[in-house]
Amino acid sequence: MHAFQDEKLSVPSPKGVGQNGRGPQQPAPNVSASQTVLARALLLGSLLTGAISHGYHLFLYPLYITDEGIYMERAWSVLREGALSPYTYYYDHAPAGWLTIVGWVVLLPHQLEAFGNAINTGRVLMLLVHLASVYLLFQATRRLSGGLTAAVVACFFFNLSPLAVYYQRQVLLDNLMVFWVLLSLYLASSDDRRILTPLFSGLALGVGVLTKENAIFFMPVIGYLLYSKVRPRGNYRFALTFWLFGAFSIISLYFLFAVLKNELLPAGLSFNLNAPPAEHVSLLYTIWQQLHRSQGGILDPHSLFWTFSLDAWLPKDTFLLAGGAGATLFNFFVGLRDRKRHQGEFIISLLALSYILYLVRGSVMLEFYVVPLVPFLAMNIGLVVKRLLLPGTRQMEWLRGMARTAILAGFFAVLLLPMGGYVLVHDQFGKVVPHDLYKLPLTSLQEQQLAFIRQHIPPGAHVIMDDDLWLQLHDVAPVYPWAHSHWNASGDPAVRDKIFGRDWHNIDYIVMSNKMLIAMQQNNPDGGENYILEALQNAKPIWQLTRGDVNLAIYQVQK
Amino acid sequence: MSEILLAVGHAVMTCLLAGALALSILLTMQSVYTLYIMLYTWDRPEAFQQSKAPSRFLPPHKSFTVLLPARHEEEVIQMTIERVVRANYPLSLLEVMVICSADDSGTIAKAQQKVAQLRRKGVTNVNVAAFKNKPINKPHGLNVGLRHTHNEVVTIFDAEDDIHPDIFNVINTVLLNEPVAVVQGGVQLMNYQSKWYSVLNVLEYFFWFKSRLHYHARLGMTPLGGNTVFFTREVLDRVSGWDEHDLTEDADIGIRISLLGERMRVIYDDRYVTREETPPTLGQFIKQRTRWSQGFLQTLLKGEWKGLPRLGQRLLAVYTLGFPAMQAVLGFYILISLVMMFTVRTPVLLAITLDLPFYLLAAHFILNVIGLYEFTTAHGLKPTWKTPLVMALGYLPYQWVLAYASVRATLRQVRGINNWEKTQHIGAHRQGRAVPQAAGEQETRELEATSSSS
Repeated sequence: MHAFQDEKLSVPSPKGVGQNGRGPQQPAPNVSASQTVLARALLLGSLLTGAISHGYHLFLYPLYITDEGIYMERAWSVLREGALSPYTYYYDHAPAGWLTIVGWVVLLPHQLEAFGNAINTGRVLMLLVHLASVYLLFQATRRLSGGLTAAVVACFFFNLSPLAVYYQRQVLLDNLMVFWVLLSLYLASSDDRRILTPLFSGLALGVGVLTKENAIFFMPVIGYLLYSKVRPRGNYRFALTFWLFGAFSIISLYFLFAVLKNELLPAGLSFNLNAPPAEHVSLLYTIWQQLHRSQGGILDPHSLFWTFSLDAWLPKDTFLLAGGAGATLFNFFVGLRDRKRHQGEFIISLLALSYILYLVRGSVMLEFYVVPLVPFLAMNIGLVVKRLLLPGTRQMEWLRGMARTAILAGFFAVLLLPMGGYVLVHDQFGKVVPHDLYKLPLTSLQEQQLAFIRQHIPPGAHVIMDDDLWLQLHDVAPVYPWAHSHWNASGDPAVRDKIFGRDWHNIDYIVMSNKMLIAMQQNNPDGGENYILEALQNAKPIWQLTRGDVNLAIYQVQK
Repeated sequence: MSEILLAVGHAVMTCLLAGALALSILLTMQSVYTLYIMLYTWDRPEAFQQSKAPSRFLPPHKSFTVLLPARHEEEVIQMTIERVVRANYPLSLLEVMVICSADDSGTIAKAQQKVAQLRRKGVTNVNVAAFKNKPINKPHGLNVGLRHTHNEVVTIFDAEDDIHPDIFNVINTVLLNEPVAVVQGGVQLMNYQSKWYSVLNVLEYFFWFKSRLHYHARLGMTPLGGNTVFFTREVLDRVSGWDEHDLTEDADIGIRISLLGERMRVIYDDRYVTREETPPTLGQFIKQRTRWSQGFLQTLLKGEWKGLPRLGQRLLAVYTLGFPAMQAVLGFYILISLVMMFTVRTPVLLAITLDLPFYLLAAHFILNVIGLYEFTTAHGLKPTWKTPLVMALGYLPYQWVLAYASVRATLRQVRGINNWEKTQHIGAHRQGRAVPQAAGEQETRELEATSSSS
């Protein structure tokens, strides 16, 4: 007789179904209304801070730099020529970054010149990207730390660190990449238990890699975070696989592009770094070349890592770098001791460490390569601050809350005041003034240089210059079709050999941007810059401007 | 002259590429959508929860009529009857009707033999009905069975089905708890390693019943399955039973019940699925698939779906019923693309766009591989390393077989050929499996074993 002893019979779950925590999780506990309001207010405050710190003085500081010009001119090329670069595209970077810029520019009424000039237009995009990144940083930190304190502190540094503001205002692929990585992290840290969320996280990471390849260094950690999140769920196989599929399918588009252009493999399958294949560019050859470039790692005191750390990064923000590194190590060891309890600490420290590993390993480095490290150092500091502010029991919660707020406000005030130097500093006269970021109009010097070119140099002249001016001379009438960057005039055979014939007599003017001479001397292992340097020796300055350590000049070649 | 020819050739090529581009974008969108509905249950935690059977059963209350339509099922019919009567449900609340056409003397004899055997054991609620008039097909048999039975809830099992002993407790509990007119239980092909196409066929069922049907049920446009589907007799009376001229009478009745606005519940709980087998030969598989494709086409052409109240429902109906046609296009698109890939030179951006369906094809294949491991884990099976390899090698040929079946179905429909191509069953899913025993001692049952004909 089948027995129905009770109103209901329980049915045991079979093996593998709904066991080991793989069944549906319980819904997250309700967050109180006051907590929600507080969270929204703090998020709004962070967004406003970011908008002010990055938006104010955006077009005036810092100087327009070469890389900003390069990415904008590539966006111009996509827009006007349907090509990835106005010059030979040799797979130095994947194109998603400037394709994003194109997506932004086409929305604007005056396209590239919507905000005065192309780089300004790009900088407005950087501002918007920064705000989106603030949102993602806030939410991801909140999820991983389990509270608001770490999120607020992380956003404070991300918004106000002079190191952050300086580079985040510039039109850099790194800034766009940070947005995609944070988006991927935000989605991977979600508790919504869906499959589409990991899929989108993978897609975002894939776009991040196609924006700037070094995003790949974050991939193992985000993968680990996702794995630890989804493993207890019934749909973990789908979640993990589609995360990977999302990332690699996007990345594979880059290789597909090269295949379709017949530029995946080098001619003759030659990977000889001493004799680059001349027939056509090759994606795999460029990757091979990049993997073998080295300018000294952490063990070399003359490496670029130390040069930038000591000369460029630490002077801008010692606290973020030193404090962030210390916090990263602290969180790493805390997380390592108990990965289940301190998973947030472990993940966030690994994110910073994985990128530090990339920086110290000794590849070619540029000054702004520190950008992707900033949000993760900020997150690590946030977690340590949260830990320091939340000791003891839950008794007297309100009192502890007030004390916490007061300590945090004091901490922020110290950094904002001249003592911390984030916003206010002492000038050489001891007077309290705003930081250079908020008062020094540097780009106006470059505008004066451009005005001189337009007034005194005929549009048909053969001009060597830097990329920051390229779009102004190619997209705004009168156009200077023979004005080329020294990078292309020395490295691209189509410019160097066909336009200038490697002969200094074919150069009429040289427009020197700040530190361009140093770049020409350093970028000359194969002698490609020699004829330009020769032209410089045979030229006389017709315009010069020096302000602080900024030197701009225009030379006319004497033939 | 040569310039004119060149211009004409250029124009033709441009048109072809534009067509290919449009097709590629459409196929990409279609693939993304299909991928989503295949993943629907895993993606939506609430749907995942709802797909599960109740964890506690209410006491038996509902009475069930089990219709067992059979044709040339001498090999398997006795065991199917045995499994139904051995279910964990009071026999007083069950009636079983085996329905055959009168010319199928073999199956009738085997069924009657089983009925007599059961009678000797005291089981009397099994009947055999035979019908003589045309058409000889399943929906006709179902209508005959419906007229000769009387219990509150009507269900269908196919002759080769292995049902779970607690399936009636599951449905009884659902019907007592929820005001639904139809409950579709899970059906699962099991013999995934029998033939090269078996694993992909098994996974089609897995994704259909475990995920897609839940999506359909949520939208209120549910093409039902052919068995393990439970109707209240009242709703069957309202739609006047099954359409005897539709080759997919199951999908058709689902849509007609959807038109009534009746709620349907779909349950796919790995524990309680009805087990079936894949067709034993490729020829049988093509015939079965042709029938389904033609049936969907018939249901589409009948146009009753147009009465669905919401646009989303109507679009889903067109998409679902027109899907076999899409499969035909997809199969041939793959072939043409492979040829074009090596012969036609196009602008890079266009070429990347034309490649998008291949990315989705890869996504579908990956989905199937994960599905394999989900399926085998759920049923305590262990695939060998060869299984994914067989899947990889057979994946494109499988698409071509489906495309071929779809074209064949269209041609049959155009020519007015509408006969029921019977799928052979050999009991491959039953090899090495004993009849599951009831969890508790069987209740004393009323004895009745009769034969009747209509």
